[in-house]
Amino acid sequence: MRRWQRWTAAAAALCALALVWVGIRYERRKEIVLEFGMFTGSNWDVANANSFVIIDEAIARFEQEHPGVRIHYYSGVRKDDYSEWLSRKLLAGEEPDVFMVLGDDFNQFSSLGVMKNLDDIIQADPDFDPERYFSSAFRTGQYGGAQYALPYEAVPTLMFVNKTLLTREGIEIPDPDWTWQDLYEICQKVTKDTDGDGALDHFGIYNFDWKDAVCSNGGEIFRPDGTACYLTDDKIAESVKYIRQLNELNQGQKVVQDDFNGGSVAFMPLTFAEYRTYKTYPYKIRRYANFQWDCITMPAGSQGENLSQVDALLMGISANTKEEKLAWEFLKLLTYDEQIQTEIFQYSQGASVLKAVTQSREMENIVQEDMEEGDTVISGNLLGRVIEEGHIEPQFKRYEQAIALADSEIKNILENDKSIDSSLKILQRTINSYLQQ
Amino acid sequence: MSDRKDRYITLFQGAMLILNVAAVALICAFIHVTTGRILSRYDARTFLDGVVKIPGNPGDNLKICLFLMGILVLTFLLRQFMKELQSRWIVVTLVLDMAVCSGIIYQLDFNYNGLILLVFANVIAFVKDGKFKLFFVVLAIAGYLVADYELLSIYMPLYNVGDYIRYYSSNTQQYLFSIYNVMISLNIILFIVYCVYVINSQRGTIEEVNLLYHELQTANEQLKEYADMTERMTQTRERNRLAREIHDTLGHTLTGIATGLDACLALVEISPEQTKKQLLLLSQVSRDGLKDIRRSVNELRPDALERLSLEVAIRKMVTDMSEVSDVRIYFETDEKHLKFDEDEENAIYRVIQESITNAVRHGRAKTIWITMKRTDGEILLTIRDDGVGCKEMKSGFGTKHIKERIEMLRGTVTFDGRHGFTVTAHIPIRWGESYD
Repeated sequence: MRRWQRWTAAAAALCALALVWVGIRYERRKEIVLEFGMFTGSNWDVANANSFVIIDEAIARFEQEHPGVRIHYYSGVRKDDYSEWLSRKLLAGEEPDVFMVLGDDFNQFSSLGVMKNLDDIIQADPDFDPERYFSSAFRTGQYGGAQYALPYEAVPTLMFVNKTLLTREGIEIPDPDWTWQDLYEICQKVTKDTDGDGALDHFGIYNFDWKDAVCSNGGEIFRPDGTACYLTDDKIAESVKYIRQLNELNQGQKVVQDDFNGGSVAFMPLTFAEYRTYKTYPYKIRRYANFQWDCITMPAGSQGENLSQVDALLMGISANTKEEKLAWEFLKLLTYDEQIQTEIFQYSQGASVLKAVTQSREMENIVQEDMEEGDTVISGNLLGRVIEEGHIEPQFKRYEQAIALADSEIKNILENDKSIDSSLKILQRTINSYLQQ
Repeated sequence: MSDRKDRYITLFQGAMLILNVAAVALICAFIHVTTGRILSRYDARTFLDGVVKIPGNPGDNLKICLFLMGILVLTFLLRQFMKELQSRWIVVTLVLDMAVCSGIIYQLDFNYNGLILLVFANVIAFVKDGKFKLFFVVLAIAGYLVADYELLSIYMPLYNVGDYIRYYSSNTQQYLFSIYNVMISLNIILFIVYCVYVINSQRGTIEEVNLLYHELQTANEQLKEYADMTERMTQTRERNRLAREIHDTLGHTLTGIATGLDACLALVEISPEQTKKQLLLLSQVSRDGLKDIRRSVNELRPDALERLSLEVAIRKMVTDMSEVSDVRIYFETDEKHLKFDEDEENAIYRVIQESITNAVRHGRAKTIWITMKRTDGEILLTIRDDGVGCKEMKSGFGTKHIKERIEMLRGTVTFDGRHGFTVTAHIPIRWGESYD
């Protein structure tokens, strides 16, 4: 009886061992699949036919460097649908390991804890130096003092200049360090009624709003932690007043996109992505074809510099990923690898988030290739400075709602000729009470 | 009685278990179904705006919770059907329950902590050990207080079942909220009823024990009375027998002698010869009477002694006593011929008997040593036991009889109750003296 029991126990132990061994073998042989969440097209709302090129290349390289690992991505999710798509994946607990995050979603997703806090990984990785990123772009991925995402592509806002119009008026293209005063003077000169029908048909500037002015005047609209706003700050009040001054030049007439496309407006803020898109074939013929144009920095306010808003496309890692190390390696490959980042200039419309790439000669050559002979390419150094020192949107949970509220109310103030100082005071109280709810 | 109680307690525990399994399953399934609904309506992004945190994969969540609840059901059945389960193993299952409950509560992000009450209920019923019980109770109370959603959600982001409920129309919301709250309340109510029942039944047991104890005491007293009565009756019977014996033998002989002597008085003047004859006759009668008395006394001796020699009688008594009680008795003597006069043998026998009885009854002794030695024409008898002894000597306790018996033989006896109880008796013996 004893012997019989001993044999059974030994057989059972052997079976268990064999099972474990087979299990381990199976686990090893099974390839690891890393899911990547991305949307098709450009983050900057410009046409982009090559949105998969960089990703495909990065995947090919990653799979070569990591045998047994396959990266799978869902193609065909449009940017407009991406937020819902990712939310669905998150709710169902099936989110990709690495994914792109839209600017509007980043705060919400970070606060939900669905994105991995990268601080510890960054600390533990000796090959990773955050200093190599543009600090503004890098900070875009921070929420509540922790790094939740890394920037993949950065896009600053620049000032579009209608060179043909300025030349006709005998005005020189402004220097990179021009000021509000210069802009106002030029606008004053170009705003006129050329056909004599009594209505203005040439205008100074289109689509330049109070937020652009605040950026270039060194103002901050919100406290970084999102508990208060500073609308009554002198820099902001000055910006709003400056916008009113510019608007008054138009004598109540509204400038529209068609005026600009028709070549009768001298300036318009536009993103670096739009600049690159409309400078290249075939888009350059579809818009702005009948005049020469270029991009320069934003004019500096009396208390600020020639700076503008910088947007970045972020990528993060899922908090529930099972392959943290691989996910981090892949995220690093996309955002931190110079070769991949250089391709952003080739196949996308933004700028690299790495200083070394954006400020290189190679980048200037790549951008130059797409342009006409006479066009001057924005210098890498200038672009780098604009990005590095650019203004980024604060990251707190109620930002989207708060800024929308401020924007619509300030537009209302400007349109209805309300007293700026007292209206801003009232608005500040309203927004503060919303933020402190 | 106790079986029925056990069945009710099991019934309560089963009901609580079922309720908790239902609650956990419903919460998980609800989140799962609601997630599906949100997805099918493409409301995911809007929904995310209104929540603080979301659970992981709701389907997996449901499976994990059901699996863990399965373990709870298993340990419950184990405790119910393995009656002979050692208390050590019961503690193990309870600790396992606790771990599993923590797992489920964590999995549910503290949205439902009624499981702690379930563990608590099991602890009250199963753990009898005071220290363990206290430990579990403290753990359960601390757990219930700490694992509170409202409290914890201040310190860490937790998903809220309420957020999922609020996804529905306000009409449905009311129903869902009331189901959710009724489940939580029902669990608490069941728990309270259960506690009250357990406390009540425990109090009932105590009362029962008290009642039985009283009955036992009364019965004891009655027994004592009966014993006293029996003793008195035996005494009376013995006296009657003695009286009859004396009357039959001594009375008869003495009467005969008295009459004979009267006759002698009358005869002595007339015929001294006749008188002499008569006196010889009287002498014979008195000797016969003496014989009769000796025979009567013989009849009054203890049964064993009557039939056997002293040593054999003592050994028989020792063996008998050892057999009927769990006392070991050692008897030792260096005297080869234990043959004394009857009254001496009687006294020795009775003293030993009385001492053994005392040692067993009052001293609760386990071992008794009896030695008998001969020194200087005396017998030294010691009876020592390892019982509780007694600090102060009190009369009664059977020592009075011993003293009387020894004193009747002009011997001395001392008692010592410091280490066990020792009776030391010196009995002078009339060696070879005989008056017949």
